[in-house]
Amino acid sequence: MQKKECIAMLLAGGQGSRLGDLTSAIAKPAVSFGGKYRIIDFSLSNCANSGIDTVGVLTQYRPLVLNSYLGTGAAWDMDSAHGGVRVLPPYATQTGGEWYAGTADAIYHNIDYIDSYDPEYVLILSGDHIYRMDYTRMLDAHKEKNAGLTVSVIEVPWEEASRFGIMTTDSEDRIVRFSEKPKSPDSNLASMGIYIFSWKVLRKALLEDHDDPTSEKDFGKNIIPRLLSQGENLFAYRFEGYWKDVGTIDSYYEAQMEMMDEDPPFNVYDKSMHIFSNASVYPPHYVGEQGKVNDAMICNGCVVLGEVEHSILASGAKALEGTVVKDSIVLPDAVIGEGSTVIRAIINEGVTVKPNSVIGSADGPITVVGESSPFARIG
Amino acid sequence: MKKTIGLISASYTSRDFGGLTDERSYASLSYGGRYRLIDFPLSNMVNSGIDTVGVVAPYNFRSLLDHLGDGKSWDISRKVGGMYVLPGSVYGVYNSHSKFLMRDFIENRRYFERAEPANVLISGSNMIYNMDYRPFIERHEKSGCPVTFLYKTVEGDVPGMYLDVAEDGSVKKINYDNASGKKLFLDCMVVEYNFLMNFIEWFGTLDYMDIVEIMMDQLDEIGADAYEFTGYVGNIDTVEDYMRVNMELMDKSVRQELFEGDRQIFTKVQDEAPVLYRPGASVKNSFIATGCIIEGTVENCIISRGVQVKKGAVLKNCIISQSCSVLEGACVENVIADKYVTFNPGTEIKGGEKTLVIRKSQSL
Repeated sequence: MQKKECIAMLLAGGQGSRLGDLTSAIAKPAVSFGGKYRIIDFSLSNCANSGIDTVGVLTQYRPLVLNSYLGTGAAWDMDSAHGGVRVLPPYATQTGGEWYAGTADAIYHNIDYIDSYDPEYVLILSGDHIYRMDYTRMLDAHKEKNAGLTVSVIEVPWEEASRFGIMTTDSEDRIVRFSEKPKSPDSNLASMGIYIFSWKVLRKALLEDHDDPTSEKDFGKNIIPRLLSQGENLFAYRFEGYWKDVGTIDSYYEAQMEMMDEDPPFNVYDKSMHIFSNASVYPPHYVGEQGKVNDAMICNGCVVLGEVEHSILASGAKALEGTVVKDSIVLPDAVIGEGSTVIRAIINEGVTVKPNSVIGSADGPITVVGESSPFARIG
Repeated sequence: MKKTIGLISASYTSRDFGGLTDERSYASLSYGGRYRLIDFPLSNMVNSGIDTVGVVAPYNFRSLLDHLGDGKSWDISRKVGGMYVLPGSVYGVYNSHSKFLMRDFIENRRYFERAEPANVLISGSNMIYNMDYRPFIERHEKSGCPVTFLYKTVEGDVPGMYLDVAEDGSVKKINYDNASGKKLFLDCMVVEYNFLMNFIEWFGTLDYMDIVEIMMDQLDEIGADAYEFTGYVGNIDTVEDYMRVNMELMDKSVRQELFEGDRQIFTKVQDEAPVLYRPGASVKNSFIATGCIIEGTVENCIISRGVQVKKGAVLKNCIISQSCSVLEGACVENVIADKYVTFNPGTEIKGGEKTLVIRKSQSL
């Protein structure tokens, strides 16, 4: 088969336990975001927009919705004969089978898949970040510096640096030290979890790491330190622009609310880099005679018969008569029953809120209403 | 249900549609801010288990083929069966209204022969309804009649062809008016395959005629059955109908019947962002498609994707097609705007009794 210069491996197996109820039934990359998207859309669209047409998606936790969402990959123009999207779950062999023990282990178990394309470079991505990025520019930098590994980094405020994996670099952006969540950071360049490896370098490191019984088989904890100690060429690639990890309820909520800002930091209406998604077919949304919509994002298939203010209604969500929905995110196909008030809350996908419920408050933590909530109607 | 293939006639059009049909057939007129008229017969067929559908394309097929592609959005891009785009005749002025032109059947005979079905379901493309054709086809098979026409009982003076149905259910006559009954022919029929092939043979010399018109004169010989559809039908024959049928979507029962049941109406998938309502936006009783940014006032409107309504702009009782811009302070009422129309700041345009159509790409 024809050789591919660069293919991507997208880590999508994480549980995302910090998202609580939102990931009780589906994997984090499949969680709805910004009304009509799912979190994985952003990385996949970046691949499509960067001319990367071969993406292995590593799944493990609750893959049903994620698998059906990916489908043939056609939604991202990735249903090609040579390449395209391939779902790669853990598998059994003649000597037994195991779950993926860590991020590096997941790639280790799919060395055959990568070898089949004989790539020069492998791009490692995680399926839980919101950003637009042209990976070809990072690949150019990787080639220019003749690096074994290039790590995409972003400057974070110094006071937040201890929450991230921090790269310490020299004046030429060569990585000299990597520290995971350092107490007293000496750099504010945070790893974005986006790596470009020269495949030969990564392949060797994966094989060595697999044989190390003390390793946790993790890119950050094991592979990067191993390459650093071996004196491999590691460079940082400085990314400027919007990048958000939406791994917690607070960051997930804030990142979406920001989309409605006057000058949103992440603008989905910017058509220079299109965000593709596997959209279900819904009719346009309907706002009724008594409906009021102000400062909101509303998707196809929604019905607004009550009041919606500073909120996002995802595809097929409904706010019935007499409802007030404020500062909230209503996920796909959820229904807010008649006369209910929802303030500063996230209503999970497919949940029907009982009529006349009063959910959330203007201050305090964000309320998440899942299937098991007393506000949700059973069946 | 025995093997049934579909045939959708998309080749006919009308010159009297205020410019909306200058560059497209009825079949690719937009509807409800998101759909094209052909989505309805095509989705109905797919939802009824018909996996082979021929679409008789208009002479001016660019807009239609852009929409249909290979049929993937309707799940009818298949190895076995699938969607076939069939050449339609280059009609003269006389035949541009003809829905089921004999010549189109003769020219595309090979399509029917290759599939070797038991029945052919033939439909026009200017009626909006959501129907499971299976009971209709099963009734046709039971009756033993070679042709079964689909009708709906309508009130008022709806233009179209009407069936005169005898007590035993057989069709006695087909008329151009409703003098003999209220059973409006829905431009849809099931025809037994062998009969259709013979019919083409027998009446091949009348290739300039509509096959329904030929059948009208032969009903006694043929023996035709009729089947009643009792659901909602939006019949679009004129620009006034177009406005009215679109606005009927505001009716909850219409909306629910068309879009909220088990049978989805499929259409070409678009990648547009959600609709963004800015502070100060005011919207009432309207249908709004993705990618719009609304800052002004919208009442009783159908708005297609990617439309911008700027601050202070007011839209009332309008159908606005994709990618139009309604700029600051523009005031637009009772208007149908085709794609890419710009209403400049402060413009005031009000359609009267007769619906006003703004042609494509105009700047006012």
